[in-house]
Order: sequence, then structure tokens, then C-alpha cells
Amino acid sequence: MIHARGLGIRFGTQWALAHVDLDLEAGERLLLAGANGSGKTTLLRLIAGLRKPTAGELLVDGRDPSEDRLGARSSLSLVSHHDYLYDRLTAVETLRLWSSLCGERGGSGGLPDLLAELGLEDAANRQVAGFSAGMRKRLVLARSRLEDPRLLLLDEPFASLDPQGQTLIEGWIERFTGGGGTLIVASHAVERASRLCNRAILLEQGQIAWRGAAAGLEEAWARRLR
Amino acid sequence: MKLVGPVFVLLAKDLRVEWRGRFRFLSIVLFGGITLVLFSFAIDADDRTATVMAPGFLILALLLSSTLGLSESFRVERENRALEGLLLLPVEPAVLFYAKALGNFVFLAMLAPVLLPSAIILYGVDAGPGALLGVFGVWLLAAAGLAAPGTLYAAMTSRAASQDVLLPLLLFPLVIPVLIASVKTVALLLQGDPMDQTRSWIVMLLAFDVIYWALGGVLAAVAMEE
Repeated sequence: MIHARGLGIRFGTQWALAHVDLDLEAGERLLLAGANGSGKTTLLRLIAGLRKPTAGELLVDGRDPSEDRLGARSSLSLVSHHDYLYDRLTAVETLRLWSSLCGERGGSGGLPDLLAELGLEDAANRQVAGFSAGMRKRLVLARSRLEDPRLLLLDEPFASLDPQGQTLIEGWIERFTGGGGTLIVASHAVERASRLCNRAILLEQGQIAWRGAAAGLEEAWARRLR
Repeated sequence: MKLVGPVFVLLAKDLRVEWRGRFRFLSIVLFGGITLVLFSFAIDADDRTATVMAPGFLILALLLSSTLGLSESFRVERENRALEGLLLLPVEPAVLFYAKALGNFVFLAMLAPVLLPSAIILYGVDAGPGALLGVFGVWLLAAAGLAAPGTLYAAMTSRAASQDVLLPLLLFPLVIPVLIASVKTVALLLQGDPMDQTRSWIVMLLAFDVIYWALGGVLAAVAMEE
């Protein structure tokens, strides 16, 4: 699903990401961990095709995101910490817009069911501007579902959610991966995110400092901090 | 639904968002009206001179109002990085350009019902319904000539901190042909056309419109993506 060799990106003279080698098969679940500024979000944005790498090779589903933009993006969905929402649209208008633009991928039916699944049924016709951070996150996840992705990129999915919301989203992610979807999660909530992933990468200053089973991440990270 | 369908889906979204924040439109209409009033005070001319200057002032009011409207049109896409969200979908950048350019065209066309009567009253323009209908037609052509390159430059400068300064700096030199052709055509329509020049100026306006609407679609990927 993802193949990267010597991947790197430079902003000015600073390498935000360098020498990243990564192979991820379909159905695998990868946790990206690391301190703030370690390159987690940058790696997700490179995979999503929102940035062009300065160095190295990257293939997503067999396509180079910087050459075949539409092709590479056709199989993925990015849930970023920017929520990409229009404040003056209602929740149901937001989903209808996405459903229309996703074409064949987006299912237009069942929007009320989708909103109900994420606990937003009472807010369906309210403008997004009045939503709390947690409600916005749930709406973003509902929107992501409409993209029907095979690769789901999540950047801090548990941020700004109450415990109930975190549990709800955890269940939602489990259903996605249970259906064979490929997952990459960048998160500081390592304990919770580790339960959802089978592999993990620890990034330090834009480079892979450790890789292994997700279950061993916490211990490995603590060892490096000592 | 490859190009036309998504364009109208996005146009409907833009119009809905604009309608819910219509204070912006009202303030730009007011700006255009005040510009016309200021021009009339600035020249302190007799009735005949004011009538002669009316075409220039009218089109200048459109041009100055357009820069406010064009830069504001991407504000909604900058909020929550909504444009980036659209770029992640299987939608061609040209679709995003044409939807936004059409929205800006509608916006500029809607200034006419306020600014045309204002100019007629302020400058004492004496013209028949046929000539006024012709002026409205020229207004639409001028609006189209400003909307296409204006949208392209607004997209390019939307991530710049000084967009409000950059946009007119880039746009004004480019749209000089629109300014000249539309002022000449309006003048000929209001003051008579003994040499039958109107047609050639309209052809020039049309040619500019066609070239920039076509060019906008081609250059959209460069303008929209980072």
C-alpha cells in the first residue's frame, strides 16, 4: 500500500523529514509517535500528496502522489488536525457536499444514520460554527467515511475529545480496520493508539529512531528518553 | 459528473456560504457606492463633464470593488484550511477554479443593480433603456474579465500574509485591456457611436474573457496547490 525509500522534505535549509524508509502492506495499522516537530504530520501530508518530497521515492497504492495526484488520493482519506470544515454550512450540508464531490466513492444515502452513528443526529441541521471541538472531530470522521478510503491517515484523532468521544472514535477506527482498511495514526495518546495498531515508528528530528511492534513502543520511547 | 456537476456543487456551496454571511456583500456594495460618490466630489465638474466621465468612474468602481470581493472569496477557504480538504478529494483543481470564478462573477454581476442606477443619478446620465441594457451587458463582460484572472491571482496569493496588497498589484496591470475596452464601450453606448466602434471593443472584451477563462482552468493546479 505504501512504499517509501530515502524519503525526505526540506523547508528552507531545515530537513523536516529525512532518510525515511517505510513499507506498509494493505490491512496493516501503523502508529507514528514522536515529540512535537518530529515530523509525524509532515509524513502524513507527504503520503496524502499535499507536499512534494525533496528527496527519495514514495508510492501510495502503486502511484506517486506528486505525479498522479488524483490517482494516489483516490484511495485515501486524511483526518488532519485542520478540520477543513465550512463554519457556515450545517452538518448535513457538509456531508452532502462531500458525498457529491466524492462521486462514485461517496454514498449519498444514509447520511442521518451516519450522523447518528457518531452522535450528531441532534445537530444535523445546525451550522458547524456552533459546534464544539469534539463535535467537529466527529463530523470530520463522518465525512471521512463518505470518502470510503482504503487507507486512513489520522493526525491526533483523540485530541479535543472527551472520554466518551474517544471511545466512540476508537470503536469507529476498529470497524474500519476490521474491514481490512490500512491505517496510519499519528498520536501522542500512545497507550490508546497502540491498541489500534500492530506496528509503530518513533520519529526523532525527522528521522526514524525506532521501529517495531506497537505494543513495544511505550517502553522503547521511555528507554530513549532516559 | 466529471467537470460540470462538481463545479455547480461547489458554486452552490459558495453561494450558500455567501448568503449566510451577506454582510460581506453589503459592505462591498456600499464600498462601490461610496467610490462613485467620492469620484463625483473629486472632479467637482459640471453636468456635461460628469456625464463624459461616468463610464470611467463606473468601471473603476467595479474594478476597485472587485479586489475586495476577490480576496475575500478565498477567506472562507483559508478558514480551517477548507481548500486543502477539497484538494484531497478526487476533484480536478480546474473544477475548484471554475466554481470559484463563477461565484466571483455572480458576485460582481450583482453589484450592477446598485452601482448602475447610482452612477446614472450621480452623474446625470441621460440614456434610453436600450443603451442601459447594453451597459449592463458590458458590465457582465467586464465582470467576467475580472473574475477569471482575479480568481487565479486570489488563489495564488491566498496563502500570502499580505494578500490584500499583492492582489491589486498583480491584477490591475493585467486587466488594463478590460478597463479600456469596457470604458470605451460604455462611453460609446451612452454618448453615441458614429464610427460604429462598439462591436470591435466588445470583441476585444470577449476575447479577453475567453482567453482568461481558458487559461484559468489550465493554470488552476499551479495556483491552488502548495
